[in-house]
Amino acid sequence: MDFSQDYGIHDNAVSTGTTIMAVEFDGGVVIGADSRTSTGLFVANRVTDKLTRITDKIYCCRSGSAADTQAIADIVAYSLNYHENQTGQDPLVAEAASEFRNYCYNYRDSLLAGIIVAGWDKRNGGQVYSIPLGGMLKRESVTIGGSGSSYIYGYVREAYRPQMNKEDCVAFVVKAVKHAIYHDGSSGGVVRIGIITEDGIERRVFFNTESGNPVEIGN
Amino acid sequence: MNMELVRNVPKGGFNFDNCKRNEMLLSSGFQHPKTVKTGTTIAGIIFKDGVILGADTRATEGPIVSDKNCSKIHYLAKNMYCCGAGTAADTEMTTDLIASQLEMHRLNTGRQVPVVAANTLLKQFLFRYQGHISAALVLGGVDKTGSYIYCIHPHGSTDKLPYATMGSGSLAAMSVFESRWKPDMTEEEGKLLVRDAIAAGVFNDLGSGSNIDLCVIRKDSVDYLRNYELANLKGKRHGDYRFKPGTTELVGKEEIIEVVPFEAFHKKLYGDETAEAMEVGA
Amino acid sequence: MSIMAYNGGCLVAMRGKNCVAIATDHRFGIQAQTISTDFEKVFQVNPRTFLGLVGLQTDILTVHDRIMFRKKLYEDRENREMTPEPFSAMISNFLYEHRFGPYFIEPVIAGLHPKTLEPFICNMDLIGCPNKPDDFVVAGTCSEQLYGMCETLWKEDLEPAELSEVISQAIVSAFDRDAISGWGATVYIIEKDKITKKQIKTRMD
Repeated sequence: MDFSQDYGIHDNAVSTGTTIMAVEFDGGVVIGADSRTSTGLFVANRVTDKLTRITDKIYCCRSGSAADTQAIADIVAYSLNYHENQTGQDPLVAEAASEFRNYCYNYRDSLLAGIIVAGWDKRNGGQVYSIPLGGMLKRESVTIGGSGSSYIYGYVREAYRPQMNKEDCVAFVVKAVKHAIYHDGSSGGVVRIGIITEDGIERRVFFNTESGNPVEIGN
Repeated sequence: MNMELVRNVPKGGFNFDNCKRNEMLLSSGFQHPKTVKTGTTIAGIIFKDGVILGADTRATEGPIVSDKNCSKIHYLAKNMYCCGAGTAADTEMTTDLIASQLEMHRLNTGRQVPVVAANTLLKQFLFRYQGHISAALVLGGVDKTGSYIYCIHPHGSTDKLPYATMGSGSLAAMSVFESRWKPDMTEEEGKLLVRDAIAAGVFNDLGSGSNIDLCVIRKDSVDYLRNYELANLKGKRHGDYRFKPGTTELVGKEEIIEVVPFEAFHKKLYGDETAEAMEVGA
Repeated sequence: MSIMAYNGGCLVAMRGKNCVAIATDHRFGIQAQTISTDFEKVFQVNPRTFLGLVGLQTDILTVHDRIMFRKKLYEDRENREMTPEPFSAMISNFLYEHRFGPYFIEPVIAGLHPKTLEPFICNMDLIGCPNKPDDFVVAGTCSEQLYGMCETLWKEDLEPAELSEVISQAIVSAFDRDAISGWGATVYIIEKDKITKKQIKTRMD
């Protein structure tokens, strides 16, 4: 038995085998994600926050390698903050998405990152941009990503209606992510929701129960 | 004298001169030598007044225990410590390097360095080396904004958590945390919980063993409890092996090299006076 | 086969009461073929500091040269003798610089602090992870046998004469079961005012 190899369950890259999702509505966007981070078969973090702040009104949903996506998100957040300081204006969601795309495309051979950029800006309102593995950038009114997304393409296509209001969007995202968590082994934990509007972000957490409320554990 | 060496004044940073040669040697069928790993159990929790870090003390080289009582809770700053698992040299050098950067940062800003800063420095350093520096860290600390535990993986991803475990014994330790951790624990409860988590690793994971180290970091004090519990004592030996002087047969006679004792050496240089006034001007 | 075992050889250092001991075998071979039996892997770097290097012979010589170069640079700049602790830190840093293309050696450092006379022993893996226990350190192709021997023979507070016997018996018995170490051994006992060098009679096969 070779002991030298098997100590490191952490030798596997940490990856957010994930379900992430974003939907545009009139006046903002709803973003959602599960909360599981795994290394191989081990759940490294069951309460991960994959909805990462870039600016107050622009967030990204990360999927793929945790290290890669965190690194890119940190760089873009730094860069947009710098521009905000220099220009005195909030950056556009498209600018953020474009910057993400540049990194994802230029380093496409060394990165494993599938990112959804979503947010609100004065010029174009709520917007969702999808940047899948190769580094393509595409605006979409609804998009899903991560390993769990393959299980819910059908549901999303069927249940999505344009012009849904905010609460309908939230219910839709929660339901979709819950389905993905059910089927995908690398997605799990709670459903984290972010609602980004002109006023910033509102956060919600839905537990993996019928009601979405946490189960009381007796002590 | 070998003049080649003059070109070898240390420059700082990694040196890749041997890589080609080593690649050649290894490709001709030699195995790469084993490095010391800390197949480890390390853990950290947030409690009411701060954080508690814990670690076992076994270092291994393949199946051999190379250090029975090594220290895996590394100093980063007065308010921050960091447990390391993975390749022992990597965790040691990484934490030392970041500790010095944090101290420079503190000196430059004149403020206590926040824990996020250490987290950012560590993750950016590890990300730069794309996982080739195998350091899996549990960073814990207290600053003006609160108490923090960060889990830092070798590839540079980090998680901010209320309780974390790392290393080969992380599963055993996490099972203890998952069943018993709760918010706002007292220090005594916290210490017991971390002790139990590390003990779970020590006794159930082959890569972890020996003793339990703890480190309690509070708002303005730190208790570094080295060998908090000696979980594995060797047992007392009642007899012993004694060799009479002269047991070992020698070749020729022993050679004795006199070394001047330091005090004598000092006296020889400066005379009998302990301090001598320096001649100033004339 | 590991590249570390290409030339064979072993080292051990022990702490005693106000003294330390370091021992080496004499063999230099190329795999199973013995080339010479007078290669000592221990170098006296300062009056009371000894450095042992075991592993690939070519790297032993290179590393020794480079370490001595850096040590002299330090001593010239600081105008004082390098004590064992910073000396081992320097070796550790040197080896870690070559983290991604290492020298195939493992160092053992043994010495007394020139002022406080505090015993010091230390060994490292090939990328410079220091290990400073308070009993003994081993390295080389029969390190497993050495661990076993030291674990049973070593005691606390051994006097120089006892320590000399313990380390001699430990290394002799260890390399008797190693085909590529042995062919004579040298033991150094480092004390406050003298260093005793002993050549041990061993099997020559």
